[in-house]
Amino acid sequence: MDELEPSFKTHPFLVDLEPAHAQLVADCATRVQFRTGDLLIREGEREHTLYLILRGTITVEVTRPGGAPVCVETIGAGDVLGVAQLTPATAHLDCRARETVAALAVDNAALQRTMDADPRFGYAIATRMLARTYHRLARVRLQQLDIYR
Amino acid sequence: MTGNPYLLTPLAIARAVRELGDVFTWTFDVPGGFAFQPGQFNMLYVHGVGEVPISISGDPAHPELLVHTIRAVGQVTRVMDRLAQGDVLGVRGPYGSAWPVDEIKGRDVLVIAGGLGLAPLRPAILRLLAQRADYGRVTVLYGARSPEDLLFRDELARWRGRFDVRLEAIVDRAGRDWFGPVGVVTRLIDGVPVGHDDAVLICGPEIMMRFVARELERRGVAPDRIWISMERSMKCGVGLCGHCQLAGSFVCKDGPVYRFDRIAPYLQVREL
Repeated sequence: MDELEPSFKTHPFLVDLEPAHAQLVADCATRVQFRTGDLLIREGEREHTLYLILRGTITVEVTRPGGAPVCVETIGAGDVLGVAQLTPATAHLDCRARETVAALAVDNAALQRTMDADPRFGYAIATRMLARTYHRLARVRLQQLDIYR
Repeated sequence: MTGNPYLLTPLAIARAVRELGDVFTWTFDVPGGFAFQPGQFNMLYVHGVGEVPISISGDPAHPELLVHTIRAVGQVTRVMDRLAQGDVLGVRGPYGSAWPVDEIKGRDVLVIAGGLGLAPLRPAILRLLAQRADYGRVTVLYGARSPEDLLFRDELARWRGRFDVRLEAIVDRAGRDWFGPVGVVTRLIDGVPVGHDDAVLICGPEIMMRFVARELERRGVAPDRIWISMERSMKCGVGLCGHCQLAGSFVCKDGPVYRFDRIAPYLQVREL
């Protein structure tokens, strides 16, 4: 926790979290780093990790048969990746580091066990995830309208 | 240009530049000058085909060059797309309200454009940059469909190369050769400083402008600090025919540039 503390105090996903709850997240987290081109999440694979991005840019990509991948969104510092994956699921898109990426990797299974054991903590995490999911959904809907056409 | 708002002035296309697949820019030489305010539009008439309102996209500091950037989307503009250097059109104008470039002097300015909406904002941006010392921080945010759909690419690169303006571009989707952000233009607002007293000029699809204004309000910008440029079916250009009526106003005469607090209630009325 000592090593993670500065990141936990400043990351937008955790910034308003009670210190005790931040400690619970920290207990499930490790600091990770990805090099340019590394996949954080691969389409079709089970997602076991929630990433809180500290630095760098990640492209969310769709691969096409016979064509180059298409990037549909970029994720950066302060964002969360794997937000909808608290329940076991497989990834539907590739998430690739476009440059060196530093993140806090939270073990989803451990986080979920802690949320189950402490409903107040569970509620605090779930509402944060819901808010982010809602904002991302709103953006995707706007993008889907293809308004510049 | 003539004093009579109905009278067409014949002008020949001096230069035609292909901007994008369906977007082109015409320049007309007007030796006597064509004075306009940034944000205003002209009615362009193609003989025997029809007349359409088109924003002026040129530099107000160079009134001897009348510039229009046009997307071929309708019957008249598709015919326009087939015209070339030397062809003559009828021009009348300029019409409508303007971006408040004088009123906002001394303030930080945020310019937000989407797609072809950069064209009506270009004269305002050029004015801000020409009189740079009169304004605070100048930021331009631009959203487009893809990197290939970015308008005025060379000029965007020049603006980006200046130390006194910040330019950020975002696209809806891209390949790996694009190194900028991907997503909707509202995302860019998160990444720039926004003050409650900033002046914000927005032009793009109406849906985009609504979302952007909402995001700005969330960031504390008052609606009376925001200006948007509206688009409706304008025919006469002088507020008589009623085609472009929006509640109690005519977009051709009272707009196209509106202060957001004055137009916002009507944007929520679905019948309008």
